[in-house]
Amino acid sequence: MKRALLIVLLATTASAHEIGTTQVFAVFKKDHSYAVDVYASSATIQKRLHGDPVVKHVFVAFNGIPVTPHAVVTADGIHVTGEIPPHAEVFTWRYDLSYSAYMLTLENESHGVTRQWLDGDARSAPFPLTRDVIPPTRLAVIRQYLTLGFTHIVPKGLDHILFVVGLFLLTTRIKPLLAQVTAFTLAHSITLGLTMYGLVSLSPRIVEPAIALSIAYIAIENLMTTELKPWRVAVVFAFGLLHGMGFAGVLRELGLPRREFITALVSFNAGVEGGQLFVIGVAAILFANKWRARIVAPASILIAATGLFWTVQRLIT
Amino acid sequence: MTILLLVAPVALAHDFWIEPSTFRPSVGEMIKIGLRVGQDWNGDPVARDSTQIDKFIVRDNAGERAIAGFEGHDPAGLLRVEKAGGAIVGYRSTTKFLELPPEKFEQYLRDEGLERIIDARAKRGESKKPSREIYSRCVKSLLIAGDGPTKFDKPLRFRYEIVPVTMTAGAIDVRVLYESKPLAGALVVAMHRDDPLLRIRVRSDAKGRASFQLPKRGVWMIKSVQMIAAPASSGADWESLWASLTFEQ
Repeated sequence: MKRALLIVLLATTASAHEIGTTQVFAVFKKDHSYAVDVYASSATIQKRLHGDPVVKHVFVAFNGIPVTPHAVVTADGIHVTGEIPPHAEVFTWRYDLSYSAYMLTLENESHGVTRQWLDGDARSAPFPLTRDVIPPTRLAVIRQYLTLGFTHIVPKGLDHILFVVGLFLLTTRIKPLLAQVTAFTLAHSITLGLTMYGLVSLSPRIVEPAIALSIAYIAIENLMTTELKPWRVAVVFAFGLLHGMGFAGVLRELGLPRREFITALVSFNAGVEGGQLFVIGVAAILFANKWRARIVAPASILIAATGLFWTVQRLIT
Repeated sequence: MTILLLVAPVALAHDFWIEPSTFRPSVGEMIKIGLRVGQDWNGDPVARDSTQIDKFIVRDNAGERAIAGFEGHDPAGLLRVEKAGGAIVGYRSTTKFLELPPEKFEQYLRDEGLERIIDARAKRGESKKPSREIYSRCVKSLLIAGDGPTKFDKPLRFRYEIVPVTMTAGAIDVRVLYESKPLAGALVVAMHRDDPLLRIRVRSDAKGRASFQLPKRGVWMIKSVQMIAAPASSGADWESLWASLTFEQ
């Protein structure tokens, strides 16, 4: 990613007012929140408010449309916070409690800094927000996280593919397959949600080898039996819990938008489901009944070997 | 003629003044000389900016000298009064350019008693035009250090200047000088720091004098704005000179 560092320092002579000691810093964060800090004497600010709420004297606009931020007078001045609206591309600032010129420093988190001199209650020049800090719409979030969820299974998640194929190799009868897939889906949805909300937590050093081991287990059991044993669903459910934690680890690395947390979480999970159904669909074609008998054993051995290899590999690294 | 106004107009142009850490320093004491811009005695600190300073001096019984300070810092100056008696601190800025929409400019002219400029603009057919103005500050502060000769009526020869002539309990007489000559008919306003809405408005007489009866003890500001045609080379139509004098009664 190309980082643009743009520093515009206007000459001090550009201001029509005397330059005061007030300083204003605006920061636009990747979690789509913003904060503006006015450093000035809080006693002076209180005097000029004449009892008004400070928010009446602070003017924040995105794309020229005013928004109402949260604003409080602190010991150091004024602290203004809010969420960047979707599709916001430029930010403008004004406040009418300064009688002197001051410097406004604008920062796009990790994208550099711009500075402007502002005369008293003058409006700032529009400040362009980078793509990173412009929040997407809900529809865009759904599309993005559905895709991320799907691609996390196909093609990126070979371990999850093998697990699902392993479930399929036991039987092609719809009822046992449905029971297993439902148990798996329910389980990984629960731990994905709980982990993302920080309610459960297990180190990837445990989760990742355990996922690999679960693949080996399923494949080995496929070699032993062709029936859906009562414990199989429970075991698949338990493994589902592990896989959910694995998905959460990936999702945490991708990052979730704060304002669309649930949308993104549900979309990602739905994407994962889509990926699994796709794998089952392809497997159903590949392992059609007439070849199935010849394929189950070598495929299960291969999957079991891969699972065991990954288990050892993940334990070592 | 003295008029007491209990409601302050909404100021559109800002006052400028010197706010020392004390108006009654001891001899040898280091005091802070703050510059303030604002209205109703409610000012923003102005940091020392050498590009904005034409003169920043003190004249006390030890003579006249420049006031030192740290660039970019508030207070703009640090001062040690070396001999007992009256000391005048003076700050003369360089000029700045300001453009205002016509209605704001004319409101400010009314606030500052500059109706003659409103008339002049009307005569030139410029009443609906935005103002193009250069302005500068000519501000002073009167300090009294210990007991000593309190002579402070010698002008600093600023282009526009309020010179304290006599100060007694409850009263002050000043002279208003423009280019070192008495200016008649200038609006001169006194404002108390703790009660800035109480304003005493006086027009200077033919000798440039304005006398104030001050109803309260404490810290006062006397201010006046002079406006003349700007030099053709400045790119502005008008030039304003903002004088103020702060002192403690």
